[in-house]
Amino acid sequence: MRVRFIALVPLVLVAGFPLYWMVVTATRRQEELFGGGVHWLPDVTRLGTAFTAAAEGAPMLRWLTNSAFVAAGTTVLSLALAVLAAYALSRFSFRGRGVFGFALFATQMLPEALIVVPLYALFLTLGLLNNLWGLVLGNTAFAMPVAVWILKTAMDGVPREIEEAAELDGCSRYAMLRRIVLPLITPSLAAAAVLAFFDSWNEFLLANTFMVDEEKWPASKGLASFVGEFVTPMPTVMSAALLFTLPAVVFFLLVQRHIVAGLTAGAVKG
Amino acid sequence: MRRTPYIFASAAALYLLVFTAWPLLDGIRLSFTDTRLLNPAAGEWIGTDNYAALLADPGFAATLGVTLLYSAATVAGALLLGTAAAVLLDRSFRGRTALRTLLTLPWAAPTVAVALIFVWIFNVDDGVLNAATGAAGLGRHGWLTAYALATVTAVSVWKVFPFVMLVVLAALQAVPRELLESAVVDGAGPATVFRRVTWPFLVPTLRVVALLMTIWSFRRFEIIWLLTQGGPVDRTTTLVIDVYRTAFLESDLGRSAAIGTVGLLLSALATVAYALAERRSTAKDLT
Repeated sequence: MRVRFIALVPLVLVAGFPLYWMVVTATRRQEELFGGGVHWLPDVTRLGTAFTAAAEGAPMLRWLTNSAFVAAGTTVLSLALAVLAAYALSRFSFRGRGVFGFALFATQMLPEALIVVPLYALFLTLGLLNNLWGLVLGNTAFAMPVAVWILKTAMDGVPREIEEAAELDGCSRYAMLRRIVLPLITPSLAAAAVLAFFDSWNEFLLANTFMVDEEKWPASKGLASFVGEFVTPMPTVMSAALLFTLPAVVFFLLVQRHIVAGLTAGAVKG
Repeated sequence: MRRTPYIFASAAALYLLVFTAWPLLDGIRLSFTDTRLLNPAAGEWIGTDNYAALLADPGFAATLGVTLLYSAATVAGALLLGTAAAVLLDRSFRGRTALRTLLTLPWAAPTVAVALIFVWIFNVDDGVLNAATGAAGLGRHGWLTAYALATVTAVSVWKVFPFVMLVVLAALQAVPRELLESAVVDGAGPATVFRRVTWPFLVPTLRVVALLMTIWSFRRFEIIWLLTQGGPVDRTTTLVIDVYRTAFLESDLGRSAAIGTVGLLLSALATVAYALAERRSTAKDLT
């Protein structure tokens, strides 16, 4: 097994280094970063200082709050729509089922960039430009289909017999979904929620295009505004990037298994 | 009772119609007009002029070339690296979970944050990469200028290979242990076992992953935009970057929509090719 370990170590170093470097940069003083001489280790004594600096400099807290709002809204809306659609796809055969399933899969291959231009025109008409709700609506269009596939795959695994018994007891379809199916697929529900949340948390294209006022930017656009900029100190920028990265990474690692299972099943059956 | 599935599916279907299907069709319609960003209502129908202009533009041919090169290299790199990592992680050994978690980090990290750190790492004067290559006697380089396309591709591979790894790992664990064991009992070496037993199980998964990777790399925007904005001089301008620049920097919505439509056609082509390959292999499996 030592061979495997030795082969993997360089790969792990390459995979992990950029994030490690984010931590190192965040904890170093601005003057330590420029003009030669590389500090390879983080200055652990400055971890706390780094985060306070990020919170105080730039409207980072404001941006993170905006991101949280957009991501939470997208999650709730996507899941509400997806739960119902997934149940229809999993439990019924109906006319248009194939088309509907294909349309959901096809959104995966749609370049956002093609949609973004007409969406811009649509949102202009609806007054949704420069409006956080506009981002919620736009992000849901991409998060919801993925959620449908994850949830449908999970629902397919719930034996129908349980529902048939409940049906004899006079339980309505909606009640069956809520009381029987949903509790049984909680892990997948959590996975779909986390994926929708962080798709939206990370989303940049729509945010960059639709949001004009700086105080309405989500953090992805706010952070991107620092690219190539030297007015804001690099440690502050990296601390802000860390604040943005940490929740995404933590939640993602918690549910990665479900996400992979859901995505591949969706792709294979799509 | 017969209406029930429609009630359940209607909200999502309606949503797709308004926020996906309608913009999509409107985008295709726009591609036949000369609509400008600042005055969208004044656009007029000009037929296939936008497409004719694209065909006649050597710059657009270059963009197509960059897109194909970038996609092919990213897909190949991610498949190779991801599959290798998965095969190495397949057996249990001490520290395996930790290594797998570390290898998943690039995929889990937000793209904007990743782009930010890479711009800093590649910085010509004070970036850590040049500090390292300089100290190693390999010289300092303008990573995002001289080797822009290669650098952008490398970052993309770094970002997406964990997805391949996780999916292939899941597929590897589904290979029946009895088959592997009986092959070993029959005296097959590790290479033969992999080629004869494991590989056939992996192929369908790899095909799906390759399709997803291809479609995703046609669509990828953030990494390229934040690292190079398509430059220097269009050397990293893919279709999606071109769509964005043409619409929001040059205000030419009609031309931008035409470029987007070409991109969509390419994605659709990849999907059709996949479906055909799938059908052929199923037919082969049955005979």
